[in-house]
Amino acid sequence: MNHRTRSVLAVLAAASLALVGACAPGNQGAPSAAPSSGETAAPPQAEYKVPVISLGTAEDSVGPAIEPEGVVKGGTVTMIDRDDFAHLDPAQIYTNTEANFSLLIHRGLTGYKRVAEGEYKLVGDLATDAGTVSDGGKTWTFTLKDGVKWQDGSPITSEDVKWSIERMFAPFITFGPAYIQQWLTEEDYRKAYEGPYDGKRLDAIETPDEKTVVFKFKTPHADANYAFAMAGYSIVPKDKDTKEKYDKEPVSSGPYMIKSHTVDKSMELERNPHWDPATDPIRGAYPDVWKLEFGQENLQITDRLVADNGPDQQAFTFYASVPPERLQQVLQDDSLAERRMISPSPYGNYYYFNLDRVKDIKIRQAINYAWPSKQIQQTMGGPAAAALPTTILNENTTVGYEAYDLYGKTEKPEGDIEKAKELLAESSDPNPTIVYAYNQTPVQEQITVVIKNALEKAGIKVVTKPLDRKTYYDSISQVENGFDLYWGGWGADWPSGSTVMPLIFGPVRDGGYNLTHLRDPELDAKMKEISENPDIDAANAAWMALDREVQEKHAPLVVAENRIGTWLRGSKIGGAEVDPQMWIISPNTIFVKP
Amino acid sequence: MLRFLIRRVLGAAVILLVISAVTFFLFYAIPADPARLACGKVCPPETLEQARRNLGIDQPLLVQFVSWLSGIFVGRDYEGLGNCPAPCLGFSFVNKAPVFETIMDRMPVTIALTLGAAVIFLIFGVATGIVAALRQGKPLDKIASVSSLIGASVQIYFVGTLAMYFFVYQTQVFHQPKYVPITEDPLGWFNGLLLPWLVLAIIFTANYTRITRSTMVENLNEDSVRTARAKGMRERSVVLRFALRGTLTPIVTIFGVDLGTLIGGAIITETTFGLQGIGRLAVRAVDYSDLPTLMATVLLAAAAIVVMNVVVDSLYAVIDPRVRLS
Amino acid sequence: MFLEVNDLTVDFHTEDGVVHAVDGLSFEVERGSTLGIVGESGSGKSVTNLAVLGLHNPETSKISGSIKLDGKELLGASRSTMERLRGNEIAMIFQDPLTSLSPFHSIGAQIAEVYRKHKGASKSAAWDRAIEMLDRVGIPQPKVRVDHYPHQFSGGMRQRAMIAMALVCDPGLLIADEPTTALDVTVQAQILDLLRDLQEQSGSAIILVTHDLGVVASTAHDVLVMYAGRAVERGTMREVLREPRHPYTWGLLGSMPSLAHPVDVPLRPVRGTPPSLINVPPGCPFHPRCDYMELLGREVCTGERPELSPHRGHGDACYLPLKQKAEIRARAAGKETT
Repeated sequence: MNHRTRSVLAVLAAASLALVGACAPGNQGAPSAAPSSGETAAPPQAEYKVPVISLGTAEDSVGPAIEPEGVVKGGTVTMIDRDDFAHLDPAQIYTNTEANFSLLIHRGLTGYKRVAEGEYKLVGDLATDAGTVSDGGKTWTFTLKDGVKWQDGSPITSEDVKWSIERMFAPFITFGPAYIQQWLTEEDYRKAYEGPYDGKRLDAIETPDEKTVVFKFKTPHADANYAFAMAGYSIVPKDKDTKEKYDKEPVSSGPYMIKSHTVDKSMELERNPHWDPATDPIRGAYPDVWKLEFGQENLQITDRLVADNGPDQQAFTFYASVPPERLQQVLQDDSLAERRMISPSPYGNYYYFNLDRVKDIKIRQAINYAWPSKQIQQTMGGPAAAALPTTILNENTTVGYEAYDLYGKTEKPEGDIEKAKELLAESSDPNPTIVYAYNQTPVQEQITVVIKNALEKAGIKVVTKPLDRKTYYDSISQVENGFDLYWGGWGADWPSGSTVMPLIFGPVRDGGYNLTHLRDPELDAKMKEISENPDIDAANAAWMALDREVQEKHAPLVVAENRIGTWLRGSKIGGAEVDPQMWIISPNTIFVKP
Repeated sequence: MLRFLIRRVLGAAVILLVISAVTFFLFYAIPADPARLACGKVCPPETLEQARRNLGIDQPLLVQFVSWLSGIFVGRDYEGLGNCPAPCLGFSFVNKAPVFETIMDRMPVTIALTLGAAVIFLIFGVATGIVAALRQGKPLDKIASVSSLIGASVQIYFVGTLAMYFFVYQTQVFHQPKYVPITEDPLGWFNGLLLPWLVLAIIFTANYTRITRSTMVENLNEDSVRTARAKGMRERSVVLRFALRGTLTPIVTIFGVDLGTLIGGAIITETTFGLQGIGRLAVRAVDYSDLPTLMATVLLAAAAIVVMNVVVDSLYAVIDPRVRLS
Repeated sequence: MFLEVNDLTVDFHTEDGVVHAVDGLSFEVERGSTLGIVGESGSGKSVTNLAVLGLHNPETSKISGSIKLDGKELLGASRSTMERLRGNEIAMIFQDPLTSLSPFHSIGAQIAEVYRKHKGASKSAAWDRAIEMLDRVGIPQPKVRVDHYPHQFSGGMRQRAMIAMALVCDPGLLIADEPTTALDVTVQAQILDLLRDLQEQSGSAIILVTHDLGVVASTAHDVLVMYAGRAVERGTMREVLREPRHPYTWGLLGSMPSLAHPVDVPLRPVRGTPPSLINVPPGCPFHPRCDYMELLGREVCTGERPELSPHRGHGDACYLPLKQKAEIRARAAGKETT
C-alpha cells in the first residue's frame, strides 16, 4: 500500500468515525518527526474526534489554562485571514470570526475550557464557577473572581456586568445575541427597556455587592450559563463605555490589548499587563505578540502555508480553510499530514420541506429514502470533504448527543430507491412533482443535478428553481415562497437543542427561521416544557429524544450533507486545534516555536 | 483652451451626478436588504427595524440621496458616530468606518499598482510595437505578435496564481506581494508590488503592441515619411520623429481609458495578490450591500474615467496641431 | 550631362509576380534645363524618380542599370551617401503637399531641419534661412507663416512651401512629381512660373513628371514620353509637339483639349487600358492599343521590341517609317481643319 492510499484511508476512517458519533480512543496528534522517504507508513494526521462537552466545577474554573503538549512561551505569532473584524464591541459580536478573535481581548462570565483534545468543559471565566441556579431555573447567580482587572488596572465589578447586559438593549446595538435580553424581559425586549444611557436601569439584574450578580429571568432557563459563554455577552467597563465608538476601540479584559489597527490591513496585539493567568482557566496566551494580517483569499493563504517559507512557518489562519481547488492536493500530500487539521461543520444543514405544500408524509419519507447522499458527498469532494449526518441536532454542538439513523443512510448512503417507490405507491401521489429551489453557485448546480436524477429514478419529477445568492434567504424565508424543497442551515449558539429546535420549529412568519412551516401545538408544548426544565441533563436527553420524534412523526426535512473543513498551519506553530463548536482555529492553545 | 476645460468640467459634473443617482436608485431596486446584514443571526422584526433606522435607510429614497449628496459638499452629522466633515461619504454599513478615510487608505495601493503597471506596459508595449513594425514580416515581428496575443489571452487569476506558486513560494525569486507605503520603505514598496505589476502589465501590453505596430506600419508608408526620407533625414530620425508621432494619438486614447479603468480598481489583480485596493473594496461593497461604500467606489471609478477623458482630449490638442481649437 | 540614366530597369517582387515597372530606360538632363517626363499612371515615371533618389525598398525591388549624378554613380551607393545627397544635391517635391508634409511640425521647422542637417547650420541661422526661402517662393508674411502648420496654408501656398523646402540647400537637381495635379488651373500656372524663375536664378536641372502634356508644353525644354515602363519618344519640346512620331504620343496629343481645337469635334482618348506590368505585351508594349498595327503587320509589332531611334536627338520607338508617320500626321491635321 503506498503513502497516498494510506493517508486517504486514514482520513476516511476518521470521517466514518465522526459519522457514527462514537468517541474514538484516537490519536492525540501526529508524531513530530516527518516521514523519511523509505517508510511504508505515513504518519497519521490528527484524527477527528467528536467533542465531549460537559459542565465544569469550581475547581475546573481556576486558572491557569491547561498547557498543550510541547508548549513554548513567548515569541510572535502571525495570523492571516481575509477579513478584518468588523465589530470589536462584544454586544455587536455574533460571527464566529469575531467571537473567536474576542477570546484574545474579552472575557465573560463563563466560557469553554479545553481540558484535552476534543474535551471541553463549561467553566467560570470571570466568574468563580459556571453559576448557581435557583428558583426552579429562573434565577442565576455569579460571583466574580478576585484579581480580574481591566487593561488600565481597574477592577472588573458586578456593576460592569450589569451595565454590559443593559447596554445591549440600546438602539445602536443590533448585531449581537438577544437571548439574555429576552429572558430578562420578554420576547419583544426592545419595547420593554431601552438601555441605561438615559439613567433608567433594569431591575431584573441585581448587584448586591461588587462581586455578585444575580439574573432574574421570567421563565426557567437551565442552560443560561452556556448562553453567557457567548462572545456577545463579554463584559464592558461602565466607565469607559464610548457607545458607538467602542466598536472600534474596546477596552481589554483579556490577555492582550490592541497595540495598533489598520482597518482591513493589519492588527497588532501586545500583552495586557493586568491580565492574571491565575484567574483564567481558558486562555493560554503563550505568544508575547500577535500580528494579524488581512486581505488574502483562502487560496493564497493555503498556498503560503503549504509552501511554509521563512516567516510563514510561524503563521497560521483562524478561518481560511483549504478551498475546494486545493483540497485534494492538500489531503493527498503526506508532507502536510502533521500540519493539517480537519473538522466537520457544527452547523445543522437541512433540505426543508414546505409542509404547507408537501402535505403527504409518505412522500416526504420517500424522498428521504431516495436521497443520494453518497453521490452528493462525491460532488462535494468525497468522504474527506463531506460528512453524512442523520440527526437534526449536530453531534459537535450537542451535550448528550445520541446518534440514530431513521432512513438507513449509514448502510445505504446512495439511497434506497425501492423503499422510496414502495412508500410512494402507498401515498396520495405515486409520481409527485417537487419544486426544488437552490442557491445558484457552481457546486449547488452540480448537486441539484444529482438530486434531480436520483429522485426521478423513484418516479418523482423535480422542477428546479435557481435563486440568486444575495436574495436566496429572503426568497425561501417567505411563508408563501412557492417552493416545495430548499436547503437551509442553522447553527446552535451553545451545545443544546434549545438553541436549535425552538428556532427552526418556532413561529412561522416572513423572514423567520421556521422554514418547514411545521405548526404542531403538541410539539410547541413539548419544546416549551423542555426549555423550562431546570434539570439540564434531563433537558438534554429530552431534546435528543424530540429530535428523533420530530423526524418520525413529521419528517419535515432531509438532513443534509455537512462539509468537512481542512486547515493548515505553519510548521513552527503548536497547539493549533479547530474549535468544534465554532469551526475555526481557537487562539487559546496556540504557541509558536522559535 | 480655458473655455474648453470649463465646458468639459461642467459636463463631467453632470455625468457624475447622473451616475450617482442611477447607482443609488438601482441599489434599492435589488431585493437584498442591507439591514438584514446589520442584524444578528436571530433577528427579531423590531431589531431589524432598529437596524434600518441606524443605517438611515428607513428614510425616503430621495431624502437619502439628497443627504448623501449634500454631505459631500458640506459634511453631515450622524447620531452616535458624530460629525462627518466634508467631503462626507458616510460610514460603511459593514464596519462603520468612515468611507472617505477608507477610500483614502486604499487609494495609494490602487494608484501604486496602476502607475507601476502603466509605466511597464506603456513602455514595453510601445517599444515592442515599434520593433515589430520596423522588422515587419521578419521573425522578430512574428514573435512579438504571437507573444502579445498570448499575453492578451491569459487570465490574471491564472497567470497570477501560477506566478505566485513558482516565483514566490517555490523559488522565492519574488517577495510575497504586499503593499508597503513608499514613505515607509521604498525598497519594500517596490518589491511588494513588482510581481503584481508584471502580471497586470502582461495583460495590457498586448493592446499597445498591436496598436503601435499597426499604426506605425501605416505611418511608415505615409507620404510625409517618404518626404522626410527624400529630404535626406536619417532613418532613425524619420522613424522616431515622423512615424512615431502619428501613433501617439491612438496610444494616448487607449492609455487614457486603461488608466481610468485601473484607477477604479483592478479587482482580479488585487484579489490574486492580496492587495487591499479600491477594487476589492468595491466588490465587498456589492457583496454586503454596503451602500455608502458602493456609492463612493462607483463615483470614484466614474470620476477617474471622466477625468482621464478630459485629460486625453486636452492631450490631443498638444499632440496634433490639426486638433487645436483656435 | 548633369544626370545620366542608362538602361534603368526596376522590378518589384510581389505576391502576384514580378512587376516590370521600368524596363531599359535611358535619358539625360543638363544643368539649367527642364526635362518633362510624360505618361499615364503605371508608365513608370514616379518609379523612375524614386529610383534616382534611392527610395525604393531594397528588399522588394531589384534595380539595375546606371544613374550617374555629375559623374557619380547613384545605384548601389551606400545609405549614408544617399542620405547626404537627398535634400541636398537632389530634391524632390511631391504631388499632394498636404499629405506629403508632416502635420505635426511647423513649416519653418520642416524647412529648417533640412538646412541644419546638410549645412550644419545653427537653429537660428536655419530659421532665418527658412524665412528667406518662404519669401523667395512668394509666400506673403513669411515671418508669421514660418510658425504655421501645413493645414493652415492654402493648396497653392502649401506647394510653394514644399518647393521652398526642396530648394533650401540649392540642389543641383530638382525632381517635381506631378507638382500641379492637386491644384487648380490658375494656381498651376503660378507654380510653373515659379519653378521657371527659380531655375533661371539657380541654374538647377529640373525633371518635371506629369501625365498632362499641357503642363510640360509650357515649361520643359526636353520631353520624354513613357509607356509601360519604357521610353517611346524623346526630343525637345518643339520637336515632339510639332512632329510627334509615336502613335502613343499622337493619342496623348489627340486627347488633349486645346483652344485651337474645334468645339464640335470630339476629343479622342487613347483606346484601351494600360497594360499589366507583370505580363507586358511582347514586342512593342503599345501594340494592343495601336490603331496602326495593321500597317506593319502583327509579327513586326509583336516581334522584337522597338528601341528609341535615333539614339540621339528626336527619337521614337516605333517601326513605322518616318514617311508614313508624316502622312498620318498630315491626315490628322487635315481632319482637324476641315
